[in-house]
Amino acid sequence: MGGDLKAVEQLASDQASLKAAAGLTKPTKWSGLGASHDATLIWGECAGSGANPYRVMADLRDMGSKCTCPSRKFPCKHALALLWINVEAIAPFPAAETPDWVSDWLGRRRTGVVARPVVKAESGEEKSLAAALSEAPEPATDEKAAARRAAASAKRAEDTERAILDALDALEQWIGDQLRLGLGGFVGDVTARCRRIAARLVDGKAAALAGHIDELPARLLEQPAADRIRAATVELGRLVLLARAYRADPRAPELRRAVATTENREALLADPRTIRVAGVWEVLGEQVRTRRDGLVSQTTWLLNLGPDQPRFAMLLDFFPASAGRRGSVFVPGEQFVGEMAFYPARAPLRAVLLGREAAGEALRAWPEHDEPLEQALTTPWLDEPWAVAWPVLLPAGRIGFDRSGATWWRGSHGALPLGGEVTGLATGTELTRSVGLWSGNRLDLLAARTPWGRIGG
Amino acid sequence: MAEALLDGLAPVITRWTMGGSAAHAAPAGWRGGLGQDAGEAELRLLALTGQLLGTMAVAEPAGDLQVLDDLPRLAKPPLPEALRPRCRRILAALRDADHRRGLLALLDRRGWTMHPADWLPGANEHDLPATYAAWQDWVAQAAACADTDEISPENWDRFGPAARRVAFAELRRRDPARASALLAAKIASETPDRRLLFLDLLTGLSATDVPLLETLAGDRAPRVKARAMALLARLGKGGAVDEDAREIAGFFSTKTTGWLRKSLRIVPQELKTSAQRNRRGALMEALTLTAMAQALALSPEELIAAWPWGEDTHADHALAAMAERSAADEVVVLVAEALASQPGSDILAFIPLLPRMSATWRQQVALRMLEAKEGNFLRALPLAGGDGEIAGTIRTAAGKALLASLVKEDAKPADHAPELAALGLLSARAAASEALGRLTDAGLIASDPRLDLLRLNAALNDEGSNP
Repeated sequence: MGGDLKAVEQLASDQASLKAAAGLTKPTKWSGLGASHDATLIWGECAGSGANPYRVMADLRDMGSKCTCPSRKFPCKHALALLWINVEAIAPFPAAETPDWVSDWLGRRRTGVVARPVVKAESGEEKSLAAALSEAPEPATDEKAAARRAAASAKRAEDTERAILDALDALEQWIGDQLRLGLGGFVGDVTARCRRIAARLVDGKAAALAGHIDELPARLLEQPAADRIRAATVELGRLVLLARAYRADPRAPELRRAVATTENREALLADPRTIRVAGVWEVLGEQVRTRRDGLVSQTTWLLNLGPDQPRFAMLLDFFPASAGRRGSVFVPGEQFVGEMAFYPARAPLRAVLLGREAAGEALRAWPEHDEPLEQALTTPWLDEPWAVAWPVLLPAGRIGFDRSGATWWRGSHGALPLGGEVTGLATGTELTRSVGLWSGNRLDLLAARTPWGRIGG
Repeated sequence: MAEALLDGLAPVITRWTMGGSAAHAAPAGWRGGLGQDAGEAELRLLALTGQLLGTMAVAEPAGDLQVLDDLPRLAKPPLPEALRPRCRRILAALRDADHRRGLLALLDRRGWTMHPADWLPGANEHDLPATYAAWQDWVAQAAACADTDEISPENWDRFGPAARRVAFAELRRRDPARASALLAAKIASETPDRRLLFLDLLTGLSATDVPLLETLAGDRAPRVKARAMALLARLGKGGAVDEDAREIAGFFSTKTTGWLRKSLRIVPQELKTSAQRNRRGALMEALTLTAMAQALALSPEELIAAWPWGEDTHADHALAAMAERSAADEVVVLVAEALASQPGSDILAFIPLLPRMSATWRQQVALRMLEAKEGNFLRALPLAGGDGEIAGTIRTAAGKALLASLVKEDAKPADHAPELAALGLLSARAAASEALGRLTDAGLIASDPRLDLLRLNAALNDEGSNP
């Protein structure tokens, strides 16, 4: 094993990587560890700072590795930790069928690389696993300095609060201007106008709201031309509601999340209001979007198959587009046992995954649709009137076409217009249950149960 | 209530669209809550209006919604759930149409179909296993959505040229005799090019097509005429010696060779100019095999036996194409046998014959090619297809060559992917398992995505149609 440990040391780009990897060698940080039957490939999922875990895989023949984290270091701390756990047998790697995501990586691997050349750290410093494990001494506590830091922090918070309120004033002024100048002109020049106010909001520390407004033109232009004035009215109305709600209760975590920033994982887990829900979840689908601000948003939608609420969980992560394409963490349709921590909100939806394991072979059925359709479609907007879209579980229905060829979901109590193109099997079978994202006027189907099995995702 | 409110908001939206204040046009019940400040009143009205339009104003379809029929269940069941993810991955990676057809044929042979959520055929896709015909009809209906009328003499002109061909092909699949009668009634109104295309759609020829073909054998366009005569010849009709046949006979002579066992041999005249070569090629393209044989005073079987195979590749290909087009099935088999018995037989010569050959025959020739020097799986795939079910593939010369090249020092992970895919399609189930074992022994890891097709093949039992 000693030789293998040496290889892990040599792979690390610096001592800091090893130090970080040491912190990740606790088995509790990992789920789904496995190895191929011929013991050449190992893989696992490591909880990171995001909502989705990172998928980490390594090829033991040449110590090549891959991780879905956005780190620019190669190999990253997660890959080093995976190799480390393997060589030190810290946790078992049960032999299993190689998952698709590992096979995909294997198929795409750059060819001809047999072993990474060993590069010494630039500083000339020797890297060592033993050193990485040693605890650094805690800095001595200085009460006066701590008080100074606390005061500075309170001052910063106050400044931020003031800046956000000023930015919201500017936003309302801007909305009033759009009404005065005419929504016809606004729709025609929406990208440039939204860009200007979004920049002002970024200056005013309202980054989340700026991101929301930056994406407004895309949402508006997705609508048919005849519907854009209505859609613009709805979008601007939602901004007014959000600004008013924030002023009324600036400390509310869901409002801070919608306007300024989202609390980090550690703060979320430390918050007593965080709801933890353990259960069986099904992956409905994933949406990956490149935003105007250069970030890519990766949204995974999950359905709670148990009797508990919340019915849905949304795992949302952002990473820079420059980090390249990032692999999906989940396969649509897979079911797993896992624990979610939901961000505190009146209608909890956004969550982080704390850990998961396989749910077993037998697939569970979807829950019954348990509330009147009209209620399911409108209730979320009472809790969060500024929401862009909300997942909804629909009863039995079918896809129909109107005279213009547009598609509709049709149930026993009415029809809902569908966004996006729906073709293939979905149009030729009964949908015994469906899940879609309802934006208030359009439904985007995520997945459905049919006599042919599950479709979509 | 929502409808009344929405009506009341129409003037508000109109004012905001043009630009200007709308508070004074707000629904009466809302005015009290808007406040005295003009700017504030606009924002409050916007918040209320936005909330109402965003949640309560759901569009309703104009008129009845049309719903497609259920996608029909096929005679064979869709793949078991456990194999679907691998099959989807294979399908996404297969860029070559031959490989995709091979995958469909492999599943079909074992009694399974693709799952319709993973793949549906195109309405006009050719060369699919017949199992999928019901899905093709459904896809065509979905594409037409509203217009599901069957093509008839009355509505023939209502279809555009391409749609007319699609509708005709569907009718031919469902009711060949009615399709033949329809074409006899309407084909005269089409241009020569389109007449030729319609002739190509006459699949599964039978005696009911004879009246139509006899009419077209007198067509004013030479290409249509030649094609109709070729199809008639396949049915054992026509083939009278005409001027063209006499001319082709002039390009060949016959002589008897051998002392004890006399055999007849065709000797091509030496061609001195390219004009002569072109003319001979054009005549072979236009004439039926029966007509040429008659002109040489031979039966079609004697013509094939006496042909100097292997001396002139172009002439061999032309005769093979002629046989495919116009000869009876047993004559086509003779041509294929003659080609296969040539040393280093050329795959290109077989291609025109493939639609007319039995699966067993194609499998045998494919196996011979795998055993030949420099044989490989990719070249044999068009011959045997995905339903080849060839035993012991990895032990053939092609298999040994593949194993040898995979262990070369400079072998790269992406090398040989198409060859491994072809091996996965051609192999019988036991042969796929054996190949997987030999390949992993040679150093490939079991999870290598290049082995996906082999793994699918090895996992795919033949209990699909009888689960």
